[in-house]
Amino acid sequence: MENKIKSVFSILDAPQPHMVGDGFRVSNFFPGGYKIKMSPFFLLDYNAKVVLPPTDELRGVGVHPHRGFETVTIAYHGAVAHHDSAGNSGVIYPGDVQWMTAAGGILHKEYHEKEFSSKGGPFQMVQLWVNLPAKDKMSKPKYQAIAHKDLALAELKDNDGQVEVIAGSYNGVTGPATTFTPLHVYNAKIKAGKSAVFSFPATYNTGFLVIEGEISINGQDTAGGSQFVYFKNDGEEISVEATEDSLILILSGEPIQEPIAQYGPFLMNNQQEIKQAISDYNEGKFGYLE
Amino acid sequence: MPFINQFKAYLQQKIALTDEQFELISGGITVKTFAKNQVILSPGETSIKTYFVVEGLMRSYSMDSKGKIHIIQFAPEQWLLSERNSFFNQPSDFYIDTTEPVTALVIPRNFFMEASTHVPCIQDLNITMLNNSIRFMQKRINMLLSATAEERYLDFIKLYPNLTLRVPQWMIASYLGITPESLSRVRKDLAHKHFNK
Repeated sequence: MENKIKSVFSILDAPQPHMVGDGFRVSNFFPGGYKIKMSPFFLLDYNAKVVLPPTDELRGVGVHPHRGFETVTIAYHGAVAHHDSAGNSGVIYPGDVQWMTAAGGILHKEYHEKEFSSKGGPFQMVQLWVNLPAKDKMSKPKYQAIAHKDLALAELKDNDGQVEVIAGSYNGVTGPATTFTPLHVYNAKIKAGKSAVFSFPATYNTGFLVIEGEISINGQDTAGGSQFVYFKNDGEEISVEATEDSLILILSGEPIQEPIAQYGPFLMNNQQEIKQAISDYNEGKFGYLE
Repeated sequence: MPFINQFKAYLQQKIALTDEQFELISGGITVKTFAKNQVILSPGETSIKTYFVVEGLMRSYSMDSKGKIHIIQFAPEQWLLSERNSFFNQPSDFYIDTTEPVTALVIPRNFFMEASTHVPCIQDLNITMLNNSIRFMQKRINMLLSATAEERYLDFIKLYPNLTLRVPQWMIASYLGITPESLSRVRKDLAHKHFNK
């Protein structure tokens, strides 16, 4: 049986950016900007490419907690240093991915890496929040630092481009990140005039963020830089033709069918759990980070 | 829900008040929005307005001769905030400003007095609220004079559970009358006691 086309619901422009801390100027596509169904992805912040002047100041977001989900930081340009209360630290360089499972609770901070800050230069990042099912929300925090060289590569036919698989799989190539629910995250690089086909179950919530270039989707809609292509749950197959050399962040996942309660940095199932998270944070149960 | 209904619900939690009665007494209440970091009242000025915070965060504070800020009160959602010198036509000692964008109801000075002609029991509520305010201030003075930094912090997180996520540490330290370093030490000690337990 031939797969049915997964059609475009809408092409969404980047919402007006706002500052996160003093280092990240992001457009929040969801849940703030657009009320779209993207579960298991709960939040998408996009810091579109900006050229930052050199500075000796430490820019970023100070110590803050998370509980009940995972944060995924994908660097395109620039470098971000991070530390957390579990003792992890590192630097996310262009092409790298940090997949942090906050789960039961973690404190962390994220700053522009010192050397990058002192030189300045282009800065472009994505941060995703990936929800966890109730049974895993209070699991032990963990941390996957995935260097660019360790991403799984799926070559497109005839040297048309390549798909870097971060999580899930594409054409039998499986990405290095382990996840709690079925989902796919790729960076797809497609050369101008070339095309690629993606297939996800109809029930999976799916969206593409155009990082660079311009694409035509299913031969009908066009999306350019910083636009988000939001798909319907009506079919499986998506064909993409790049009208320019393009880089697209591809997200698709099985929705988590559970109630959601969010307050600030906590993403739980009900208000009682939110209250508990606030009180645990206040009482030091997330640990300590200077 | 229209903003004003939040104040109705607030009153209805405390006294028997019908929707019709609230209609009669709420005519003078207005809605106002403020940007983040907007100074609403400064020392030397007078303002007989009381703010009921619908959304956002306000605070009152003083500034000493060295420019250091001392926070008297935070007013998050469902809190009332006013400066009382003004009620006696005397200049304010305090600043009132916003720490987040704020939507507030502005309640006129004579609200309770005028409302009591329609709803007599509202005068009792006014007295109860003023008494509670005195109790709160007495406790606050006692904490500032006699409690340890940890005791002050533990009291603070009971009173304002989510403010630790909404304001920087130095503001909490300022409210508690301790240095930011002391607050860090308190939080570190608590983490040592409770982390992974």
